Amino acid sequence: MNPENDPRHDELRDRLLEQALAEVLAGAGPPDLTDKILAAAEQPESIPVQQKERVMKKRSRWLKIALPASAACLVLGVMVCLLLPATQSAREAARRASMRSKSERIHGLYDGYPSTGLSFEPRTAEPIRVDYDFDIDEDITRPFVVFGNEYGRGPGRGGDKYDMVVENPFRAVKDHPLSTFSIDVDTASYANVRRFLLGEGRLPPPDAVRIEEMINYFDYDYAGPTDATPLAAHLAVAGCPWRPEHRLVRVALKGKVFPQKERPASNLVFLLDVSGSMDMPDKLPLLKAGMKLLARQMRENDRVAIVVYAGAEGLVLPSTSGANREEILEKLGSLQAGGSTNGGAGIELAYRIAQENFITDGVNRVILCTDGDFNVGTTSTAELTRMVEDRARSGVFLSVLGFGRGNLNDAMMETLSNKGNGNYAYIDTINEARKVLVRQMGATLVTIAKDVKIQVEFNPARVAAYRLIGYENRMLAKEDFNDDKKDAGEIGAGHTVTALYEVVPVGATVETPSVDPLKYQPAAAPGETQESPSPAADASPATDELLTVKLRYKEPNADVSKRLEFPLVDRGASFGQANHDFQFAASVAAAGMLLRNSRYKGTATYDAVLEMATAAKGADPHGYRAEFLKMVHRAKDLAGRSEKSEE
Amino acid sequence: MTAATTDRRAEMAALVRTHQAGVWRYLRFLGCDAAEADDLVQETFLAVLRDGFEVRSPAETASYLRTVARNRLLADRRKDRNRPALVDLEAAETVWAQVAGDDGLGDYLAALGECLDRAATPRVRRALTLQYADRASRERIAAELDMAVEGVKTLLRRARAALRECVERRLGQ
Repeated sequence: MNPENDPRHDELRDRLLEQALAEVLAGAGPPDLTDKILAAAEQPESIPVQQKERVMKKRSRWLKIALPASAACLVLGVMVCLLLPATQSAREAARRASMRSKSERIHGLYDGYPSTGLSFEPRTAEPIRVDYDFDIDEDITRPFVVFGNEYGRGPGRGGDKYDMVVENPFRAVKDHPLSTFSIDVDTASYANVRRFLLGEGRLPPPDAVRIEEMINYFDYDYAGPTDATPLAAHLAVAGCPWRPEHRLVRVALKGKVFPQKERPASNLVFLLDVSGSMDMPDKLPLLKAGMKLLARQMRENDRVAIVVYAGAEGLVLPSTSGANREEILEKLGSLQAGGSTNGGAGIELAYRIAQENFITDGVNRVILCTDGDFNVGTTSTAELTRMVEDRARSGVFLSVLGFGRGNLNDAMMETLSNKGNGNYAYIDTINEARKVLVRQMGATLVTIAKDVKIQVEFNPARVAAYRLIGYENRMLAKEDFNDDKKDAGEIGAGHTVTALYEVVPVGATVETPSVDPLKYQPAAAPGETQESPSPAADASPATDELLTVKLRYKEPNADVSKRLEFPLVDRGASFGQANHDFQFAASVAAAGMLLRNSRYKGTATYDAVLEMATAAKGADPHGYRAEFLKMVHRAKDLAGRSEKSEE
Repeated sequence: MTAATTDRRAEMAALVRTHQAGVWRYLRFLGCDAAEADDLVQETFLAVLRDGFEVRSPAETASYLRTVARNRLLADRRKDRNRPALVDLEAAETVWAQVAGDDGLGDYLAALGECLDRAATPRVRRALTLQYADRASRERIAAELDMAVEGVKTLLRRARAALRECVERRLGQ
């Protein structure tokens, strides 16, 4: 029979497709067994585990018979002395193996996610308490324990490095009527948190949780601009699900969408870290697969160059037309890891290549892919950020893709992408690479507005106090809003940005930080807890408006900003009356606060988050919201386990 | 540690990293569950590494590893006849060699991702996500997509047929 017509082959091809669908859609892919295999291969003895157990059992039986006789026999006594510790040791080994097996079974529950090979080990090791070099308000961030140093412990020390996040407090409107911040379209924190929960089966450290990046990970169905403006704003207000007496305000932006055909020509330089630390399955192989996905999207009028950096920087592929796709893919496929990292020199070369091939009115961008281990050369963060900032002014922007665990310099990568007018994404799976580099390629590559700042003016007749949820490292002074020299975030084609404010209406109890009474001013000082003035007591000029959102942005090549303004009136909608996108964003914010163990989490619980998010999941064509639900389930389990172990 | 030991360890690590996913997927394709595939991948590489692994071309190495894995699987199954049945091994090897290639299904998965992005409608993607990621029942899929239960089976069958055709066309088959 012709193999082409063999029905067995047809069935097997269907089977293969189903297996691949399970891997692509559910992440049911192969685990990384490298460490286990190498450790086992280096053991001198080669007795299989089952045989070892049988030998142990025979020894135990023999000991039961021999022990009484050995009391009268010196030789046997010596043997007992020798064998007993060995048996105990073997028993201890068996106990540990049993625990390991149990932990692997726990890990096996997370089959829906590709394993990183790191298993959730029982707490047999002495936990290492993470020490900060400065004082932390215990209410703001909880201490956490780690098994090893993977979370990083400061400059010059190994492990992942996160900037500390100090949550925004409630601010009284009469003292602070303006709230000003830069937008943030990064999504790295969400992907990183996902990897902690689903990939490694443990709660993330609080400083890895940036709530605005979790909220902005998701697509929301906001309408784009209908005129020449690059941005559209959508404001909404409804009840606050975790503090019913408060209101929740959503400020949303939607960037203009470019059809794929109209995407401007791109001049891209892939700046790839191939240092020794990248020699891990979740780093260089994933990097290569991800960049191949991007390379496949390139067209004839696009250009791609590849610069690598390790012991010495090098140009692997000069700037090449996207039409030569095979050559680009071949160069990516041939990359090997080795040597230490000289990130600074690599960045300089990448910028030079980008500048030499500059496309006027096109996309000119360096895409840095690294685990952030800039450990050789003159690479202080300050020097790098200065250089990146300078080059961004010349029109070459920087995007950063983070990979892997163990050296992840989250803080530096976020800083560099901010200064480089770019965005920062964390790539933990090929699906994430596909999301960032294929589905959202326009948003990742094509900047439609830069230095986007938001300033909210609250009406004291309606609002007693407010709190911006997230955006802690994007806060600006009120004077920065009109200062065009002050850098802020960029928004890409089709990007959505969502910010949530928890608002305390007038008449409700306000908890704002305590300030000493002013000695030379007649104004009353705010107390730590106070009754806010009633609406009638305040004779503020305005109207029914709750607040006004002011927006400033620059066109990608402009130096002068434009200003837009949008008022918001509160019609008293309940949370249940808000649309699905509003509800889902609120559920993500609540989950973020729970993961941070925020003092502002109110009545939020993981069960409440699950209820909100399930009801608001909507169509979810790519399954991102379903995956969020899985994460919340996992976080709930882990938090429960953690509480039990603390008891 | 000597330079030779370091080189040997790097060589072993490279072998495992390059081929473990392919061996695992192959074993799953033959009918192993995930835990059994985990065990057999470890045993396969241990056997190869302890026997003294020689560097060969990627295609030869992948084929050799598949043979070792298949033999270990058959040996295990002879000891434990209560395990679920395997697929037709001869036909499976032919199909794997034709479709999966030497990169252990890597290109196939990339092509499938592109087909899902470009060829599948949001409704079809949602239906597939519900089935493969959420393991939802047909009734639940029907309820979420606002369609008759009988239609779900047809929708999924057509979606799979279109995806297979798209993937195999992209792979030049």
